[in-house]
Amino acid sequence: MPLQDYRPMMERCSNCLNCRWVPFDKLKSLRFGENCPSVCYYGFGTYSARGRFQLGQSVLDGEVDESEAVGDIIHSCLACGACDVSCKVCRYNLEPLAHNLALKEEAVSRGWVKPAHRAIMEGLRTEQTMLPGRRKADRTAWQEGLGLKDVFQEKAEVLFFPGCKYAYEEDLREKTRGMVRLLKKAGVDLGVLGSAEACCGGRAADMGYADEARERVAANCRACGKAGVTTVVTPCADCLHAFKRQYAEAGATFEVLHVTEYLERLVATGALALPGRIPMTVTYHDPCKLGRQGEPYEAWNGVEKKIRNQIHTWDPKRPRYNGAYGVYDAPRRLLEAIDGVRLVEMERIREYSWCCGASGGCEAAEPEFSAWTASERVTEARATGAAAIATACPWCKGRLGTAVDENGDAMPVVDIVDLVLQAAGEVQA
Amino acid sequence: MNRMPDAVYREFEAVVGRRNISRDPAVLETYRAIPAQSSDHRGPHEGKTPMPQAVILPGSTEEVQGVVRLCNRYGIQFKAATTFWSVMGYIGSEASVQLDLRRMRTFEIDARNQVAVLEPYVIGGAIQAEAMKVGLTLNIPGVGCSSSVVASTAGWVGFGPTSISMGCASENMLGAEWVLPSGEILRTGSLGAGAGWFCGEGPGPSLRGILRGKQGTAGSFGVCTRMAVRLHPWPGPAAIPTRGTVPAYKASLPDNFKAYTLCFPTWEAYADAIRLFHENDVLFLGHRQFNMFGRDIKAAMIRILNDPDLQLADLPALCEDPYLKEQNEKMKIDIQVILAGQTARDTDYKEMAVDRILEITGGWKSEMMLDKELADWVLLYLIRMGHKNLNYVLCGAYEGNFGLSSNVYVSASVMEEASDLKRKWEEQGTAIAAVGGDSDMGSICIMGGGGSTGWEFFTHFDAYEKASTRGTAEFFNATQAWMNEKGLGVDMGKWNQSARRPDGFYFSQAEQDAMFEKLPQPLVTEYQFKVREAFNPNDLCGSYYRTLDPNRASRRRNEG
Ligand SMILES: Cc1cc2nc3c(=O)[nH]c(=O)nc-3n(C[C@H](O)[C@H](O)[C@H](O)COP(=O)(O)OP(=O)(O)OC[C@H]3O[C@@H](n4cnc5c(N)ncnc54)[C@H](O)[C@@H]3O)c2cc1C
Repeated sequence: MPLQDYRPMMERCSNCLNCRWVPFDKLKSLRFGENCPSVCYYGFGTYSARGRFQLGQSVLDGEVDESEAVGDIIHSCLACGACDVSCKVCRYNLEPLAHNLALKEEAVSRGWVKPAHRAIMEGLRTEQTMLPGRRKADRTAWQEGLGLKDVFQEKAEVLFFPGCKYAYEEDLREKTRGMVRLLKKAGVDLGVLGSAEACCGGRAADMGYADEARERVAANCRACGKAGVTTVVTPCADCLHAFKRQYAEAGATFEVLHVTEYLERLVATGALALPGRIPMTVTYHDPCKLGRQGEPYEAWNGVEKKIRNQIHTWDPKRPRYNGAYGVYDAPRRLLEAIDGVRLVEMERIREYSWCCGASGGCEAAEPEFSAWTASERVTEARATGAAAIATACPWCKGRLGTAVDENGDAMPVVDIVDLVLQAAGEVQA
Repeated sequence: MNRMPDAVYREFEAVVGRRNISRDPAVLETYRAIPAQSSDHRGPHEGKTPMPQAVILPGSTEEVQGVVRLCNRYGIQFKAATTFWSVMGYIGSEASVQLDLRRMRTFEIDARNQVAVLEPYVIGGAIQAEAMKVGLTLNIPGVGCSSSVVASTAGWVGFGPTSISMGCASENMLGAEWVLPSGEILRTGSLGAGAGWFCGEGPGPSLRGILRGKQGTAGSFGVCTRMAVRLHPWPGPAAIPTRGTVPAYKASLPDNFKAYTLCFPTWEAYADAIRLFHENDVLFLGHRQFNMFGRDIKAAMIRILNDPDLQLADLPALCEDPYLKEQNEKMKIDIQVILAGQTARDTDYKEMAVDRILEITGGWKSEMMLDKELADWVLLYLIRMGHKNLNYVLCGAYEGNFGLSSNVYVSASVMEEASDLKRKWEEQGTAIAAVGGDSDMGSICIMGGGGSTGWEFFTHFDAYEKASTRGTAEFFNATQAWMNEKGLGVDMGKWNQSARRPDGFYFSQAEQDAMFEKLPQPLVTEYQFKVREAFNPNDLCGSYYRTLDPNRASRRRNEG
């Protein structure tokens, strides 16, 4: 929806400040009570979802044409969606996250872009990856020697889609290969897109580069359609979100699962055994795109409708993404299935989890803000007494793994998959 | 608009640091209240409040003082706000700076003395969560737990559902530290005598009375930078255990907590029950909450809020559900109460007292609301007060009208007539949401233990649609005329009409003079003029503090 279509929402947001806090019912302390990294870090109300609604209005009304900061403010949103969940505890007719993204899209269309994003987008356009400096030609190196089916040649039950990080980054590649070996050992019929594998486009959308994102979605949808893909499994939360929501919106009908969901199913059915013991207390960081934004897509094509004179609603009923049906339990169950692993929870979890700071293009464009956001999370994790943070997204793992807490101390960060591979005897600790 | 000279801006910047001040239009524009920020009690309005010259985020009392001193030096008005729920906290002239106190967020709990010492950005929910860890809690005003405790306590009335057991802001405010509009620091209560935070009054005349009084002075006396509030016993666990799927969270509290919706056959019986509750001291919390959605839709709204898959689009079908219709009928005259027993015997006693009051008044407990899931939802909703934004759920804007009464029997006697008046407007026009006339959200306690009560009819309108906003303003004129006819005073929706102009600007002294000299008791505003002269000699904090220039008043008196 273009920015101007959000005007009614901009003018109906009443500044309750829910968008700055975890749902109040879940508030456990002042220290870890806030939910929006952007307003916490930058301070001015402008940076909250409410501020952004008003900023959107000012952009449309031409009131901020002389602003030097407008582009920076708009792009300082992590697109983590915490505001969206908290807003919708009470409001049924506002869409703060979608609006923040529309505002970013508008900024990009006006040329209010962050220099750091240019290189990333150049990489996406030319090499089809969000990791600048990586080459398309190197993308499939991780697949070598695994005997994976090329889904264009042979039908496979499951398409394994690693995403840019798991495909390219040297320290992750081995894990990608381990995952594949494990899934195959459990009898899963796996295939890959081969040389057609490319970025999912999800992160571009979060940065406001909607055209580029759409292009990726269309290309990947075409590829999957051609190959007759029915199930996609990915270890990347960003890819999961893109496939589950944007691809579905573009017409894709395949099932999309995060690898933790798939592994948990295999463990539950006995197809995968985890005999190894890992004596470790961990706390689980819910990736935004897997958790609150990982809800299934529901098609909607409707209009606003007023009932009882002035109550505004939607006709037909509009899907209400508020984190209620995100993926929270499968990763936790998987952790609990590993002998010796003890899970302790942070204060902000599940739909009201605090973002790691890696998303929305902020890690590249606003590195200090991004690092501070991660630092807050590490501090919160440390307060649980856990020895390590477990997560289920390579972006979160990378971001949190390079952060330090408020005292300057780092904390080990593991992907749940790392632990599963260890427990399954696939890799050594 | 004249921009603040660069040199002056640099001086402010030197006080708070570069990061904490902005004059970028993108920031300034977001510090203007918009019409959806309704419930300012000056009726539905259009347009925005003026644009400040700068937004400043001070981080300490010293920084606040530095900023205020500069404001005095350069004749710049200022307004401090913290959580910005209502338009009261926004500046009202172009030669103003907006102070946003969000960096001031330290707190300390003194459990033994049942006191919390807070900076402004500590919100009610956070301090409640912290206090519960040591078996205490606080009165969260009706505005809800997202609001600053200091703002509610220093700035406005501050009554809420637990006021029946814990009192209101004026009663809970203990020692406080203020940066006066002159830039001077004043410590009130026991703090001023160097005796700590524990008492709201110190030696000599009541400074608490002057700086906040009963109603609060809406930021007209500078900035309260720290204050102590009284904490009250919490007979529950160290944290409220919750369950359920967003947004239908529920509390899993032990058996000494009970939530009931009490219903009455007549308004007289309702008033009797409230009187008896005031007299008998058995309620932890009492409030007429869910009727704010409206008499015809409240059961359906409760159903929607308790089912993660339902939404407003389901309202028409749910309103036709015979069971819910019947519940609406049964809950027509209702109130929500929570009991919190300190011991099992205490719980039993309170239960018995409630049952006896129902027996005396012919009332009953709503059967629908006895359902465990619903009762647990009510417990969480009303104890945490974390769903206040549901006030806006229907249309995005609302204003409360009708008002307050010193005695519940006054409002009870006119409730049906007021309902009929509203229903007529709902049916004959389209400006306001049609919810069944009575949409009273009733505060049963505006002072500790009992006393005056509120009857605020929520009038839901769409601030995005001018026809709705304007039509609602006309409705308020009609209700004011009705209030006049009945001798009921100023309609709540217009309380602040004498504080800020419809265009969002403050009134000048001349405009205030013209309004207040006609008051039945103009001396009050003359007295306030003198107080303002003493505390705020450069008149830097706007017209929420109503003043009448005594010279003008005496001239008029002489002429008259
Ligand atoms: C939907 C809604 C429901 C409400 N319900 C109730 C209710 O049931 N009971 C009730 O009593 N009130 C109620 N109010 C009014 C409300 O109490 C005040 O708005 C609130 O108490 C203060 O919170 P705020 O977020 O508005 O604070 P702010 O916007 O920060 O400030 C409110 C006022 O206090 C002043 N102020 C803020 N901080 C300071 C400070 N540090 N020092 C000095 N002055 C300061 C501001 O200038 C402003 O005038 C309601 C308001 C709304 C919008």
